[in-house]
Amino acid sequence: MTSTDLLLQQVINGLSLGAMYSLLALGFTLVYGIAELINFAHFNVFMVGAMVAMLTLQGFGLVGQETILTGLPLVGTLLAGFAVAMLVCGGIGVGIERVLLRPLRGVKGPAAMITTIGVSYVLFNVVLLTLGSDAKNFPNPLPPIVWHIGGAVLRLREVLIWVIALALMAGLTYFVQYTRLGKAMRATAQDPEAARMMGVEVDRVVMTAFFLGSALAGACGMIFGLYYNLAKVDIGFAAGLRAFTAAVLGGIGNVPGAMLGGVVIGLIEAVSGQTIGTAWTDVIIFGLLVLVLIVRPAGLMGRLAPNKS
Amino acid sequence: MVSAALAYVSRPLLSLTLERRRALGLFALSLALLLFPLVYDDDATIDSVANALSYATLALGLNVVVGFAGLLDLGYAAFFAIGAYYYGIFTSFQVMPAWSEAWAPLAFLGLVEKMNQGGPDLVHFTLSFWLALPTAAIVSAAFGVCFGAPTLRLRGDYLAIVTLGFGEIVPIVARNMDGVTNGAAGLNGIQAPRLFGHSFGVDSTPYYYVGLGLVALLIFLSSRLRDSRVGRAWMAIREDETAANAMGVNPVRFKLLAFAIGAAFAGMTGVFFVAKLQTATPEMFNFNVSSMLLVMVVLGGMGSVWGVVVGAVLLQLMQTWFLPQVTGWLHDLGELVGSQFLVGIDLVQWTQLFFGIILIGMMLYRRNGLIPATRKAPPLNFAAQHAEVTRGGFLHLDRIPRWEPGEGALDIRGVSVRFGGLVALDSIDINVPAGGVVAVIGPNGSGKSTLFNVITGLVPAHSGSIVFRGHELLGLAPHEVLTRGVARTFQNIRLFPNLTVLENVMVGRHARLRSGAVASVLHTPGNRTEERAAETSVLDLIAMFGNRLTPRIGQVVSGLSYANRRRVEIARALASRPQILLLDEPTAGMNPAETLELAEQIKSLHGMGLTILIIEHKLDVVTTLADTVVVLDHGVKIAEGRPEEIRRNEQVLTAYLGRAARAAIMEADRVA
Repeated sequence: MTSTDLLLQQVINGLSLGAMYSLLALGFTLVYGIAELINFAHFNVFMVGAMVAMLTLQGFGLVGQETILTGLPLVGTLLAGFAVAMLVCGGIGVGIERVLLRPLRGVKGPAAMITTIGVSYVLFNVVLLTLGSDAKNFPNPLPPIVWHIGGAVLRLREVLIWVIALALMAGLTYFVQYTRLGKAMRATAQDPEAARMMGVEVDRVVMTAFFLGSALAGACGMIFGLYYNLAKVDIGFAAGLRAFTAAVLGGIGNVPGAMLGGVVIGLIEAVSGQTIGTAWTDVIIFGLLVLVLIVRPAGLMGRLAPNKS
Repeated sequence: MVSAALAYVSRPLLSLTLERRRALGLFALSLALLLFPLVYDDDATIDSVANALSYATLALGLNVVVGFAGLLDLGYAAFFAIGAYYYGIFTSFQVMPAWSEAWAPLAFLGLVEKMNQGGPDLVHFTLSFWLALPTAAIVSAAFGVCFGAPTLRLRGDYLAIVTLGFGEIVPIVARNMDGVTNGAAGLNGIQAPRLFGHSFGVDSTPYYYVGLGLVALLIFLSSRLRDSRVGRAWMAIREDETAANAMGVNPVRFKLLAFAIGAAFAGMTGVFFVAKLQTATPEMFNFNVSSMLLVMVVLGGMGSVWGVVVGAVLLQLMQTWFLPQVTGWLHDLGELVGSQFLVGIDLVQWTQLFFGIILIGMMLYRRNGLIPATRKAPPLNFAAQHAEVTRGGFLHLDRIPRWEPGEGALDIRGVSVRFGGLVALDSIDINVPAGGVVAVIGPNGSGKSTLFNVITGLVPAHSGSIVFRGHELLGLAPHEVLTRGVARTFQNIRLFPNLTVLENVMVGRHARLRSGAVASVLHTPGNRTEERAAETSVLDLIAMFGNRLTPRIGQVVSGLSYANRRRVEIARALASRPQILLLDEPTAGMNPAETLELAEQIKSLHGMGLTILIIEHKLDVVTTLADTVVVLDHGVKIAEGRPEEIRRNEQVLTAYLGRAARAAIMEADRVA
């Protein structure tokens, strides 16, 4: 492999990682934009998504990488995996909001954030106690189709990840920009009180934000499994911290910003892992987060949600 | 029978004052803790208690950062790790540079020794435990400042995630820097502390006493700091950073101080912990430790010194005693009823699940913890509630020093403020003579509050100058403006909601006091005199409002009436002994009687020589008080003059009422 090929390969890897981080970052950004809250539960909602997707695929009789599907069965299984993971995670998100966070709305200070840390812990430990801490073999029914671009390798799973991530992001953008509820969301992000007075049901908007964010985390969990062929109880932390960095990098509360930030973080991870070493990836990503917060706290594309005080 | 006996025994106790009873309880507790290892000689239990003590010290440190200063630090274990590795590296055989004569002075001091393992002579670090404790505090505090500095401008929630990242990075660095830290395997062969030539070895009892000493020291430090100028500044920042800044608190300095002191506590604990275990691995300091400490602080009560100690002890009890015990019971029960599920259960593995549940449960049902930091003051008694309100002017004005004539002239020239494309203030000139009262009026959105914000440094000016007693105010931070003698109130009342009336007003005094952390801890004579004098003058200020506030000084301000909160805010501003007072709609939301009362009170302040700049909508108040009225509209000064001139000014009438109404009024005047 020449160095150009190597770089191209890392770009391919980085875009796949970026697709994942973008989806996960959207969850942080949606919830932050509406509720001004860093949702620490998001880390492990994503992990639960990966587990649920795995169990769903296993429910179809898929084990490890042995079973290869094509045609309609493949599409059907994948769709089912995504649908179940998204619905379960979306449901968890709504549950968290409705049961635990709504009573805390309007309470000043870190109460809501501490609650989400608690939820994150509960999710983590429930999975740990029921499924164990070992790395699980995530079923992957994709046929091993591979394209060679120069010396770099592009696999079907990467193309699939890009397509699905793009479709989800396009859907979300359409929803936020053009639907009634999406407009209500944007209005609430700007000024909840004014939105409420204009007849926006703020409760419903907040719940929608949690549902969408968590559902995207579920989809991200499925993508993670397909990409790495594994699911593990502790995958939430590292991925979550990177996705959060992506959200901040793009400008928290900013939907296109989160997508861009995710891709940038994915590329940085892939290239720095190649050149500096994967042991330091967390340090590099995190250093970037601190740097962005100091130099340009509004992020690359600016925050859309004004600073409410 | 039993209750009668109890009553008989407790009667002498009840006759003591509250302080006496507290002191007695503290004495009994200390005695029990000191005697515990002698009476109960079980090494495993003593070891477990010693561990609980080290977690209590960590929780006390985190409490300074999270509870006092309100900075949610999720990576606190990083400082624990720094202290631990500091001691570990300088007492183990991990780092051994080549010996040269340059090391000889250190060897003389006993910090290093020459060693030969077959090969060239090497240096073996032999840092004493007792020297390591204070130096680790300093080293960790320095790291605390370094980690804290980049995060200070961030809002609380970003701070949480940045500290989370720092907490994650420190173990990663420890894992990757094999040469210094021995990587994932961890440091081994760490020296046990020695005292008078005897090594502590592996016996738990000496560690227990050191741990006990550390907890006692940190409780003492925390309590002293909490009840000082420093503690008030921290709590003010926690409650409302902008208001704290406007009242003279330098948020950067005090946040860094909180980080440094919290880190110092953790660094000392790290030394203790590692000396006790004689090993240090990266896993000992991961996110789980930070979050367990957070659970301890949340459970006990954020900001509550005894609360977090209780929280730490309870959690440690839960892990080492309660959960294994219940597991045993469940197993017995399982065998009895023949349930394999119950026999297989191990609740100790559920510990972290319980942590999560505790966090959620506390936030939902008891946010202030088991032992809340602020306990509600007793409600007013009937007499105090129904006492005749003394009103009209200030009382006891004689106790307050008068202002010198000539103080307090404020000269605003050509000040412009822009927000994006919007011009909020356009080249404004206002002159406030010393001892005068100038009122600023104008329709909503005309830039009145922006004017106050630019004077007090909350909003930067685009151009112009604001000179106060010969000093330029533009470019100064809010706390510097206050120090120069400019104090303000806010249109939408910004008190520190969870502090008492007295504490709120004492924060206003902050800039006029000098005591730092050291003086506050040591209660130096200077510090004691200063605090006593401050409290007296603050009580005098509060007494100016008659019996409106004085009976309520111990109450939390969020429970006060609207008008009383306004009064507290004015008292807080006056506590800084300003030369000019900026009042932003002080009578907004008050009924006519209260408005009249407050107007008279402002008038008496003016009568004592205080210069006043006031924003007010109620024209009768403006007419009674002001010598000069300035009218703003859309960021432009459209009129200035005596109150009666302004009432007839055409432009003013247009701005307020529109053209048609102005014409009607002019017509009516002409006819009259």
